[in-house]
Amino acid sequence: MEASIVQKEREVVLKEVTGIKNGPALLEMALEICARCGTCAQVCPVYNGDPQSRYNPVLRTDRIRSLYHRQTSFSGKWLGSLVGAKDYQIGEIQEWAETFYECTGCRRCARYCPMGLDHSVVTRKARAILNQLGLTPKRLRDVIDISLKTGNTDGATPEAFLDVVQFLHSEMKEETGLDIPIPVDKVGAEVFFVPPSGDVLVNPDAIMGIAKVFYVLGTDWTMSSHMFDGANYGLFTGDDAAMKADNLNYINEAKRLGCKVLMMGECGHAHRVMKFIMEKANWWGKLPFEITNVMEFTAEMIRQGRIKLDPSQNPQPVTYHDPCNFARSCGIIEEPRVLLQAACQDFREMTPNGAENWCCGGGGGLSAMDTILDFRMNVSGRKKLEQVRATGAKFLATACSNCKRQLTQLMEYHKEDVVVGGVHDMISHALVIPGASQPAKAGSSAVH
Amino acid sequence: MESLGFLVGVILPPITLVVLVGGLLYRVRYWWKLPTPKLTLFPAPEPGPDHLVGVLKATFFFPGLFKSDRTLWLFAWGFHAMLALILLGHLRVVTDFPRLWAALGINADTMSAGIGGTAGILILLTAALLLFRRFRIPRVREITQAGDYIALFLLLAIILSGNAMRFLGHFELAQTREYFANLMLLKAPLPPQKPWFLLHFLLGQTLFLYLPFSKILHFGGIFFTQAALQRR
Repeated sequence: MEASIVQKEREVVLKEVTGIKNGPALLEMALEICARCGTCAQVCPVYNGDPQSRYNPVLRTDRIRSLYHRQTSFSGKWLGSLVGAKDYQIGEIQEWAETFYECTGCRRCARYCPMGLDHSVVTRKARAILNQLGLTPKRLRDVIDISLKTGNTDGATPEAFLDVVQFLHSEMKEETGLDIPIPVDKVGAEVFFVPPSGDVLVNPDAIMGIAKVFYVLGTDWTMSSHMFDGANYGLFTGDDAAMKADNLNYINEAKRLGCKVLMMGECGHAHRVMKFIMEKANWWGKLPFEITNVMEFTAEMIRQGRIKLDPSQNPQPVTYHDPCNFARSCGIIEEPRVLLQAACQDFREMTPNGAENWCCGGGGGLSAMDTILDFRMNVSGRKKLEQVRATGAKFLATACSNCKRQLTQLMEYHKEDVVVGGVHDMISHALVIPGASQPAKAGSSAVH
Repeated sequence: MESLGFLVGVILPPITLVVLVGGLLYRVRYWWKLPTPKLTLFPAPEPGPDHLVGVLKATFFFPGLFKSDRTLWLFAWGFHAMLALILLGHLRVVTDFPRLWAALGINADTMSAGIGGTAGILILLTAALLLFRRFRIPRVREITQAGDYIALFLLLAIILSGNAMRFLGHFELAQTREYFANLMLLKAPLPPQKPWFLLHFLLGQTLFLYLPFSKILHFGGIFFTQAALQRR
């Protein structure tokens, strides 16, 4: 490697690490007040998958903490390794590039840490530094570029999107004998629905479920032919500029369509970026629409008795995996359960669940990286596999495209006879639609 | 012994006081001023009574630990609770509250012998278990640094010397009260010339001097992290 590159790496790393001295508070305090009690390792899905020191979250965070102490604290300067302070080692950044993409950012540690520290905040900072140095994994960089260029992380064209909509429309027609619309680019619609593109292209049953709910309620809704993916990978790679740029595309589209409600689909991190990051931090000023989630919406309709479900359409045992971003970061825990309990005959909880559920093993963007498939299948996904096995469920519902990809691979890899799908998949099968020619067929998702 | 007494009882206390109070104020003021972005990390109550209750609960009862590691919770909470009790009890070393005891109808000497003695044993036990845990459990051993051992050994030495004072022979509180009263009047008094007391006082001050620069200050920072984490 050229000396100048090495020099630049060192400079950027030290400048960024020293800069943590000015906050934000949770990042800086994670480096300053850890009591080194080991609780985070105890609850970390990666360390539990393979308890070796490489995966101990404290030692991962120490990569930054040791430099930070050396650079900024009195004791670190004078006492050095006695207080865990270290100098930057040439080439160390290459190890960062691996280790900081072995944290799924699931924030389970923050849930249990007695000091209230959050390793995911440190992981994201490290990834931001890697990003500055062009060391973001190629796959994730590509996803961000594609999303900024095409509006969705799969790089699908509006024509491809319209084809899918056409296909889903005729599927529903065949199934129910009814014209259940999926409106596209309808200016003035009340609800602008933004799913993850995975639900359009890979698991479209959830979209049909949602379209049917809207049909029964007579909701005035629309999707966009060029903005149909709430996914925002800048959250994962620490690329704030890309995260904002991607987000702004959706805000502008929502404004153009003149919707009153921006309804996010079954995608945890997309909902988190919209509702708990963008809106809370007030990136774009006051918005002319409210932000909500489709699971909140459908749960409310069930509670009010405005839609009816026939659970006998879903007789197989069903369990639910809480996506980290929905459960821990957004508090959407009850809603998916309201849906599944109403739509399934045999709903089973996994243990633990809700905000304490284990990560699928593909969080933080890892799910998209096939270069670390072995790691995801044998280390980070191990706890989840045990949990799913213990339920005996045949259908594993979740509300996140990244979780779905990881879980589908996990079930195949370990030869488990479990179908992975969305929450609204179950609604699609069980929804009682007035005027439908026949009840919806159970288990039609299995063939997709 | 007299020169050691002079060093520990006359020279050191003002330095300790300045470093401890100055260091604490500096750190807390610094944390107070750190920018906190407005995004939400966990859904939590709006700032207000519920939020405050959440922060205090997390700070004083370690609920996350209770759920994830009951054994550690028992050691850690036991240790900190005993520490708080003992620090409170140390008020009587400096001064006494005869009217309070009379009003409550308590014999303070008997009470502190009972409660203080028990707390002294329990804190020794919990601190030793915390140390044992550092040696014993791989995930803890591999993250333990020299500083962690220093803190624990220092605490153990303070606890042992304190217990020695209580259990090995009689200790006259009147002497220390007189000493601290004079110290506060800046009269440069010599402390009681008892070896265990001098050792305990020296080690205690060493801990206070080290505290603002070490992770032991987590007790000051936890309010800030919990407040930031449990914020909407």
